[in-house]
Formats: sequence, structure tokens, C-alpha cells
Amino acid sequence: MSLGSDSSGGLLAAVREPFEGPNTMGNTPAFWLGLTAAVTLLAAMPVLFGYYAAEIGAVFLAYALLGVSLCFIWGYCGILSFGQVAFFGVAGYAFGIVAINVPTLTGLTLGLLAAVAVSTAFAAALGYFMFYGGVRDVYVTILTLVVALVLYTFLGQTAGGEWAIGDARLGGFNGMSGVPDLGVGIGSVGLEIGIVGHYYVTLGALVVTYLGLRALVNSQFGYAMVATREDERRTEMFGYDTTFIKFVVFTIGGAIAGLSGVLFTAQNNYIDPSVFGITAAALPVVWASVGGRTSLIGTIGAALAIQFVDYQLALSGSEWALVLIGSLLVFVILVMPEGVAPRLHEYVVEYRASPDPTPAETPAPGEVHGGDD
Amino acid sequence: MLAAASVGALSALGGCVDEGGVLSLGADPEKPTVAILEDRSQTFALTGTPKYRATKLAVEEINRDGGILGQEIDVFAPDPQSDNMRYQDLTRHAIYQEDVDALWAGYSSATREAIRPIVNDHEQLYFYTTQYEGGVCDRSVFPLGATARQQLGAVVPYLIEEYGDEIYTVAADYNFGQLSGDWVRIIAEEHGAEVVGEEYVPLDESQFGSTINRIQSADPDFMMSMLVGQDHSAFYEQRLASGLEVPVGTSTNMAQAYEHLRIDPPALKDVYAGVNYMEELPTDRNEAFVERYHDRWDDDGYLNQEAQNNYFSVYVYKKGVERAGTFDQAAVIDALEEGIEVEAPEGDIALDPATHHMEHNMRVAHADENHEITFDAERKIEPAFLHDVGCDLTSEDEQTQYEPDAFYEEA
Amino acid sequence: MAGIELLNFGFEFVEVFAFIVLATVGLAVIFGMMGIINLAHGEFILVGAYATTFAFAAGLPLPLAMLTGVVITAVFGLVLERFIIRHLYGRLLDSMVVTWGISLVMIQLVRIAFGNSAPGVGIPFGQLPVVDGPVYYLVLATIAVGVLGGLYALFAWTDFGVRARATMQDEETARSMGVDTDRMYMATFGIGSGLAGFAGALYAPVMTITPEYGTGFLVEAFVAVVVGGSSVIVGTILASGFLGSVNAAFTNLAGTFMGQVAMLVAAIVAIRLMPDGITGLLADWRENRGESR
Repeated sequence: MSLGSDSSGGLLAAVREPFEGPNTMGNTPAFWLGLTAAVTLLAAMPVLFGYYAAEIGAVFLAYALLGVSLCFIWGYCGILSFGQVAFFGVAGYAFGIVAINVPTLTGLTLGLLAAVAVSTAFAAALGYFMFYGGVRDVYVTILTLVVALVLYTFLGQTAGGEWAIGDARLGGFNGMSGVPDLGVGIGSVGLEIGIVGHYYVTLGALVVTYLGLRALVNSQFGYAMVATREDERRTEMFGYDTTFIKFVVFTIGGAIAGLSGVLFTAQNNYIDPSVFGITAAALPVVWASVGGRTSLIGTIGAALAIQFVDYQLALSGSEWALVLIGSLLVFVILVMPEGVAPRLHEYVVEYRASPDPTPAETPAPGEVHGGDD
Repeated sequence: MLAAASVGALSALGGCVDEGGVLSLGADPEKPTVAILEDRSQTFALTGTPKYRATKLAVEEINRDGGILGQEIDVFAPDPQSDNMRYQDLTRHAIYQEDVDALWAGYSSATREAIRPIVNDHEQLYFYTTQYEGGVCDRSVFPLGATARQQLGAVVPYLIEEYGDEIYTVAADYNFGQLSGDWVRIIAEEHGAEVVGEEYVPLDESQFGSTINRIQSADPDFMMSMLVGQDHSAFYEQRLASGLEVPVGTSTNMAQAYEHLRIDPPALKDVYAGVNYMEELPTDRNEAFVERYHDRWDDDGYLNQEAQNNYFSVYVYKKGVERAGTFDQAAVIDALEEGIEVEAPEGDIALDPATHHMEHNMRVAHADENHEITFDAERKIEPAFLHDVGCDLTSEDEQTQYEPDAFYEEA
Repeated sequence: MAGIELLNFGFEFVEVFAFIVLATVGLAVIFGMMGIINLAHGEFILVGAYATTFAFAAGLPLPLAMLTGVVITAVFGLVLERFIIRHLYGRLLDSMVVTWGISLVMIQLVRIAFGNSAPGVGIPFGQLPVVDGPVYYLVLATIAVGVLGGLYALFAWTDFGVRARATMQDEETARSMGVDTDRMYMATFGIGSGLAGFAGALYAPVMTITPEYGTGFLVEAFVAVVVGGSSVIVGTILASGFLGSVNAAFTNLAGTFMGQVAMLVAAIVAIRLMPDGITGLLADWRENRGESR
């Protein structure tokens, strides 16, 4: 959001500096220009297409944020969680419970904070349980999936009136409805966030998270994360506490997934156990794999693009929709094993390398991904 | 401070966005359009596909006969793929982009609840036609399928009369199943019978050994099965192979997912279903309807109860529009609330203005050892529960779903 | 009275055990040995079930129809291996996304080709005395044990088995010693697919057959493979025994919902306590004993 000032000038390098480094693709002015263009384009969507674009777009952006949470822990620290949706859903339910009981501005603000706190704490607990117990690799993947499935089974049978917290009915498979929109404020001072406001809040959250994570992965801690991903044992020998690193990364991932869950739930005014299902659980993995798990912007682009294509196919009503989307996934992974964004990055590097002998840091063109919505 | 400033900026930005957007590419506002959101892939395809087809058939028939108010009806029919999140997006699309005049959507109750906030926000006229747990009292929603109380009210008293007063309930462990279990208990109480055992089975369970064991040892006079979906239909094969011969009453099986045709006989021998419609209904009007349906869709899919509900509800809508003299949704709802009678394949039935439900022609369908269906005990049953709780949408607008446990000690 | 209840419990255990073993073996070979996370495992099972049910409807006797199911699934697996899966060896997580895509495609293709349901088969052999369960479940359990025994024999004792295991453990060395590793991968994948098809065929009479048929097997299979650990046969037996008893016990005491939840929670705890699966724990154990000697 603060990118507007980054267009040119000597200040540019200084502002960009914390967001750039060897752990992210796209460290050139051209990249930042493209990113600014993409964000501007996304910001223009509701102006161009009205409430419809704002409502559907906000859902897609919340998905993208969920994808980012996985990309961060998987791509940069090698932890593949198949259960990011667990934090997403838990935060959604937590927000719903608080917001339904206290539908005032204070309550909504508290609800947002409480929900993110709950998902963070849940991720911390699960991360502690796993990493300090020596669970690793594919076992983390399956364990997190099983956690999501336990939540799915459990919430599915909470239909009865006894499953209520205050005024908020968990609602079983029919889900929790009547969740209010977002709001920020204390007492009567503040703002209820409507349809269009919600879109910009979600977009803002995505951009801020993206920039924040870029800064983080290019920091000292980020280097340690990537070292842990590359070779845990060696990193440990250099004196890093890799277990602690994984624990912290996983917790941050849970917090981000939680934030996206709140944005998603408040947008739909509704959440149901299907967010914990195996299909929902697979989606973030798909986005990160297709977009490129080592590229935050690639994952965002893939989430937006895949959801958009998938949605268009459903709109067509064709019985071939699922066949097409499935084949597309198979094709992309076979042709571009490392994902779309890293592949594009390579092309750009090669292209730049040929006329110019200096090894240039080059952009993954953000507008290609972000502009798909 | 920064946060406050950005929130302020947001609200300013929000203020300048207009509902349709600068480039709004909405549908042709002149042409009346209805949305049919029914699943044709994934979990609910089996039951959703006939719903889609029957709705389409009704609209085509109406268009062939000159449309409604002389106007041809357009159809917006994407495939929601049994995904509630997708339903929400498609409902928004139907409302914002297609500007639909009426909406038919969804098989499961979860789907209905997922889109009801959007429907309510826009006061969208919405027909939900699956048989369901009952209790929805909502200004713009017309749940025209039979409710659990209507279906169970047809079959439970019949079986108490035929077989005795000890009942064992097995139901899917979710909203519909649990509420249906409550209704069995209430209706049993009303008829001096007793529920001797009760069991709720998760939706993805397909191994029924322990359930069958427990039914055997409880030895009831009959059992009620409100099992739902693909995994649960394995129950009947396993019942047969375990020699469980207790008669079965149901509100969910046969009429919706045609288990009696999908499973080899005699697995469904002595299954009694409380239904308002099955394809096998031997009336001239129905046989003509079934023939029209199979002529239009020439593969051999079953025409299920929900498809019939979709079919007649399109005609209910047509009558509402014609009475209102306009497609304006509020006017159509008001017109419907004056009461509509319709010649449905299940028989002549009437819309109950106060509750937006139908007074259905309920009957008990029985499968014999060859899975031949016969019908018995036909009678009209009105949506009594919503009357009891005081739902009257003609005088007071609500957006509620009532549940039996608040109104009956027994539940 | 208590005798009968114990018998009932025993029978329930047999039912769950057979289900988990048969749902798992195919995946255990493909995932445990080859490192392919096959999210289309359920759809391999689906192929077996459809082939069986249509062969049966065409008039083949049930055992032959089931054999048809196994063969068709194995061939299907081989074709898939040649065109897609072989690009994924050593790419554990990519294999997951690709097979998820395959699963989407297959469910929908089956729906387009065969409609929303398929004809039923009917449970053979009638019912047992005393516990009132189908005889067929005992047959399933016997077959489950037989399959495990056969697999053990195949991989431990035959020349093929030794070559295959060598390939999976150290491809380079195996190739330098003259093993056609490419063919080993292909054959092992074919065996795994055939076993998945076998599960589909065997459960075709027990469950109704729709395009979503395979999804009912997936969770149990993955949980059991992971809890079992890297040694396919022993792991599958122990994990199925463990998860099966937890499931049967809780189902018996507190209903099906608690049975499912207890099984999943038991799996979480088991993975936490034994990060390398049950067989990993056993291996550690043996090593320790060896060292202390």
C-alpha cells in the first residue's frame, strides 16, 4: 500500500532494501513497478465492476492469503502442512463466536484479535507437539491433515442446541450463520466495514503480509529458515536451534492462515465444516505447487488464477470443468516441476543475461500473476 | 494512528464505488431470468442432476406455451459442484450479474444455510425444494419440499399400527439426521410408542457391523433409518447379509437416491418410505410427466422426489408472477402469500401462505422383495410445526429456522 | 451373555481390520516403497470396483469378475506410470498435487462415462450363526491376511522382490549391478495398483458403487500407512491391528462417531510418539539391543 512512493528516485533503493535479498525473486525496479501496477489493478476492480467484483474478489484474496501462509512455511522452511485450513477454519469459527455474542464495534475488534490469537496459539501448540516430538517431513504433512479431519468430523456433529457458546450455535454441517461483517473500533468510535471496505481490507492485509514476509525471509532469521530447509543437521551444527526455528515459522504460518480465515468468514457471514475437508485442505498445496512454493508472489498469483479459472469453468456449467482443472494441474506440475513463477524468473534471468553480461537480479513479473483476477 | 488513517482512507474509497461498477456488464434487464444452481458433479450429483433436469424441463414447457406474462424465460445454470463455497459465489453472480428473478438452489441443508445470508441481504426470491428438517420461516425463501415432520408423520404412525410400538432410530450424524431423530421421538410419543434405541452415524461411515449388532440386541418392532448419502447406502446390503429382518421406515431412502434400483433385491425388502412423490406413482398425470421427462432427457436416470418438487415449484412461480402481473420479486412474494394451488405430478396441492411451505400429498411407499413399489395411506399433511411455533410470514417478516427441541419437552 | 458380546466385538474387529488392511496395502506399496503420495489411491480402488461390477453385470461369475477388476486396475496403473508417475519419482510432494489432479479427472470421467451410479453386486455367502454378521467379512479378513503373506513372500523370497527392494533403496547401485530399475518401478507400481483394484473389487458387494466410491477408503489408508512406517508388510499389519482395535473398541463402547474420532486421535498420538512409524520404532529397538550386546 505504501508502494505509491516507490516509483523512482534515490530514496527507492533505501525503501526497497529491507524487502530484497537472495531469498526472494524480484529485486529490481521493474519488479516493483509491475507489483505496483498489479496492486493498482486489483484495487481498481470494485470501481470497475462494482459490488460483485468486491465480494467475489475478497474471497479470492482471502484464499491467496491462505496460500501465502503455506508458501511461507513450506517454501522457506520445508514444512509441508496439509492442515493450514485447520487454522483458517478455527479462526473463522472463533471470530464467529465472539462476533455473534458481542456484535458491537468493540466486540468485532476483539473478535478479530481473539480469532488470530486462537489460531496462533493452536498452531503453536500443534507445532510444539510435533517439532519437539521429532515429527518430521511427510509425517508432519499427514499429521496436520489428520488434525484437520478430526476438526471436520467433530464440528460436523455439533448440530444440536447444546453445541452453543453464548448466542453462537456451532451448527454442525449446516455451519455457523449470522456472522457479522468486520468492524474496527472501541465503543461507538470506529468503522463498520462494508462490502467494498472489506475488499480493500483484504487486499491491504495481503499486501502488508506479503511485504512483511519478504522482509522476514531476507532477514537473519530468514537465512536460518532457508538453511533449515536445505540441511537441518548442518544448520544445527552451526549452532542454530532448528527445532525452535520450525516452531516459530509454523506458528507465524498459523497466524496468517487464521487472519485469512477471519477475512473469509466475515465476508461470507458464514462458515461450515467443509473448510476442514480434504478438498479444501488440498487447495493451498495446489496453489503453492503450481505458483512455485519458493515464490510468495507466485503462490498469490496461482491462488488467484486457479480460483478464477475454476470459477469460470463452474459458471459454464460444463461437465468437463473438473476434468479440465485436474488435467491442468497435472500438466503444469509435469512441465514446470518447480512452479510457474520460478520458471518465469529463469526465463527473465536468461533473457536479461544475454544482452547484458552483469548477472542481474530480475523480476518475476507480478502483473502476469496478479492481473489474472 | 496509521491504522485509523488507512481505515479512513478505505471508507472514503468505499464511498466512491458504485454498486454496479463503472464497467458493469449485467444481464439484459428486460428479459426475465431464473437461476438453477443444482449439482451435476461431485457428492450430490446423483440427486442434483434430476433436479436440474426437471427444472429445465418445466421452464422449457412454459416457454413453449408462451412464457410467463408473454415473456420467454432465460435460464442461468452453472454447476456448483456440490461445494458450498462455490454456491455462495454463484449465488452472488446470479444476483449481481444475471439479476435473476427467482433462484432454485441446492440439495443439502448446509447449502441452503450457506447461501441464505446472501439471499436475505438481497431479498432474493429463493425456492429450496429438497425434503428437509423443517422449520425455516423466512420472508424470501420458499422451502417447497416436504419437511421431516410431514414425511415421518406419514410413515411412523403407519408402522406403529402395522408392526408395534418399539422403535430403533439410526440416523446420519448431522443436523438433518439429529432433528429427524427428535421428530421420531415426538411422533412416537404422540402415538403411544417408544424409541428403545437411537444411534447417529457419521456421514462417511460405510461399515455397519456394530450398528446392526446393536439393533439385533435391542430387538425393536421396526427401525427408522434416516441414513444419507453414498457411504450410508451400504447399510442395506449389510443388513441383508446379516439377516436383520426388522422392517425399516425411512424419510431419506428410495425417493431421493433410488436405492431400490441401485442395490440388488432383496436388500430393501420391507422398507417403508414416507414420501410425497416417487417416479413409480401410478396416476395418469404422473405417468405422462415421467414420459415427458424421459423424452427430454433420454438417458435412464431416475426422476426423484426432489426433481418433482423443482418441477411443480416452477409452475408455482409462474402462477405467482401471473397473479402479481409483474416479475418484481416483492410483488411476486406477496402474490404467492395469497395462496397458490398447483396441479403437481404428486396430485393437487396448495401453498400454505403463512409458512411458505406446501401442504403435501403424503403417502407410504413400500418395497417388496423384488423392490417393486406400492403406495398406501395417502393423505394431505400440512406444515403443522411452523403453525405451532407461530410462523406467519403474511403478517410478520422473519428470517429464522425453528427447531423442535425448544417446543417439545420430549425432544 | 458376555461370551456373545465378546464374540460380537471380535467380529467387529475382524470387519475393521480387514477394511484397513485391504484399503492400505496398495497404498503401502506405492507410498511406503516408492515414495509416491498417491491421492488418487481411492480412484484406483474405484477402477477395480467398476470393472468388477460391470464384469459381473455382463454375466461373469463373481471371482472372475473380481479378477477382471484387479487386472484392469493393474493395467491402468501401468499406463499411468508410463505417462505420468515415472516423472515424479523422488518428488514426494509434487506427486501429491499431480495425483490429486488425476483423482479429480477420474471421478468426473467415470461420471461422464457411466452415469451417477452403477449396478450393485450383492454380498455373497449369506450370514453367520450367533453373531449375525455376513460370512463374507470372514472371507475378507482371510484374504487380507493372505494378501499380506503373499506380498511378504514376493518381496522377501523371490528374485523379483529382492531386485525391486534394491531399486527402491538405492537405484544407482541396483542399476550398476544389472537391475533394470525402470522396469522394477513399473512393476512395483503395477502391483500396488492391482492391490488397490483388488480392494475395490472385494468391497464392490459391500458398498454401493458411485463415482465417489474411492473417497471412503482414502483417510484410513493414509493414516495406516503413516502409522505403520516404512516397512510395508509388518507396518501394515501392526497399524491395521492397532487402529482397528481402537476403532472397534470405541465404536462398541460409545458409537461410530467416537470410534472414528478415537482412531484419528490415536493416529496423531502414534505419529507423535513414533515419528518413524511402528516399524521405525521396532528398528530402533533392534539396533539398541544389538548395541548393548
